[in-house]
Amino acid sequence: MQNTLLVGLSRQVVLERQMDVVANNIANINTTGYKADRSLFEEYLASGAHEDNFANSDRRVSFVQDRATFHDFAPGPTQETKNPLDVAIDGNAFLVVQTPAGERYTRDGGLQINNLGQLVTVSGYQVLGNSGPIVFQPTDHDISIAADGNVTVLEGTGRIDSVRGKLRMVSFAQAQQLLKEGSNLYSAGEGSAAQPTTTSQLRQGFVEKSNVNSVTEMSRMIEITRTYTQISTLLQSQSDLHKSAIEKLADVPT
Amino acid sequence: MRALYTAATGMAAQELNVQVISNNIANLRTTGYKKQRAAFQDLIYDHVRRVGAQASDQGTIVPVGIDIGGGVKTVGTPRLMSQGTLAATGNDLDIAIRGEGFFKILMPDGTFTYTRDGSFQMDATGRVVNAQGNPVQPTITIPQNASGITINAQGQLTVTLPGSTTPTLVGQIGLTRFINKAGLQPIGDNLFTETPASGVPQDGIANTDGYGDMQQSNLEQANVEVVSEISDLIAAQRAYEMNAKVISAVDQMLQSTSNMFR
Repeated sequence: MQNTLLVGLSRQVVLERQMDVVANNIANINTTGYKADRSLFEEYLASGAHEDNFANSDRRVSFVQDRATFHDFAPGPTQETKNPLDVAIDGNAFLVVQTPAGERYTRDGGLQINNLGQLVTVSGYQVLGNSGPIVFQPTDHDISIAADGNVTVLEGTGRIDSVRGKLRMVSFAQAQQLLKEGSNLYSAGEGSAAQPTTTSQLRQGFVEKSNVNSVTEMSRMIEITRTYTQISTLLQSQSDLHKSAIEKLADVPT
Repeated sequence: MRALYTAATGMAAQELNVQVISNNIANLRTTGYKKQRAAFQDLIYDHVRRVGAQASDQGTIVPVGIDIGGGVKTVGTPRLMSQGTLAATGNDLDIAIRGEGFFKILMPDGTFTYTRDGSFQMDATGRVVNAQGNPVQPTITIPQNASGITINAQGQLTVTLPGSTTPTLVGQIGLTRFINKAGLQPIGDNLFTETPASGVPQDGIANTDGYGDMQQSNLEQANVEVVSEISDLIAAQRAYEMNAKVISAVDQMLQSTSNMFR
């Protein structure tokens, strides 16, 4: 009899967590290079009663539990910014970022230059090229980033391109193993190593917007709210049932 | 529920986004204005079930974990330092920089500020000053009886003096570059100051060594594009509304919980 409550509760706990995921997606609807998360559920079968001398055999009860959130790595829409330091990645590659905790990976191509002339992310971490950080000289101008990641500039009054490095692009055989670290960074999970890739291309002057689809998230949110309310109603009628059972069965005559 | 606070961070971020966009639109006609953009990042994640963790003693690993994010944060409002379009004004002391560099202005307190706004004037003593009356560096004094002010691409200011047929050079307006011009700090009045992020100022001469050239009788317009600002504004407004919807959805869920038992 208590199972209804517990099954309902297991669903509500999962729905709350799913709501957290949807809320995080919607909060990041304008975050450059953000990839949406989705929830996965699985059935958890509780074992039946040990005694099997009932008239009908005891049925097993299934609960819900959330198994995983997975990243939706679909490409986000690209927006033209005309900023020479903005790059959008066309393909499944990531840029490599040097953080104090080690190498991290990002899809956020809104880059900046720091006081040392190094190419950095908005958070100030160095973006790595094939041979270390990419450093610009004080007289460099007209920065150009080619599709393959080659960074060239015009130096001083020169009319010939000088190469400043080549942005490192990596991909992962199992991108789902990547761990979101916040600050638009991913860390490689255990057992997944970054592989250099040449199939992806960079688009200078564009940024990749968040791939959160507002219509999908809104309808998912409505679905969550409605399901949650339904289960609440279900639990409520179950409680009413209990109440009347107690009232009727335990009607002690006075 | 966490979703309530996640949505609140989303609303706060979009509010700031609208602020940045409205400042861009307000400065649509400000000479030498450089547009800003709000940069967002996702907040830290709660790794409820860690991806790659051992799932059994047979060496199988969790293929996808449970990561619950905490919302969004604003990480900066970087400035887009691209070239604005030049507009001819016909005024002798209006100068636009085409390319890299800033004009250097001497403030009354002795410090230097930097600007892309080249709408200069002459003060009572003949000095070339900006709209606030602070002299452009190096200070140039135009003689009282001079006429025919000409500024060439290198910033050399020449005048014609009475009784002379050849122009006289009275000074040269300099330019200053920064390795990270987006790291300059705006202080209003179209002026910027040096910061630890911008790097040290490098003074130089226009049209040489990577510095831009000067265009007399022109002004640099703001680099704000109305169409992209308006579409950004619409996107920001809708994102704000959606976050507000999340809050009301969570509210509804909590309400149904509290109504569960009578």
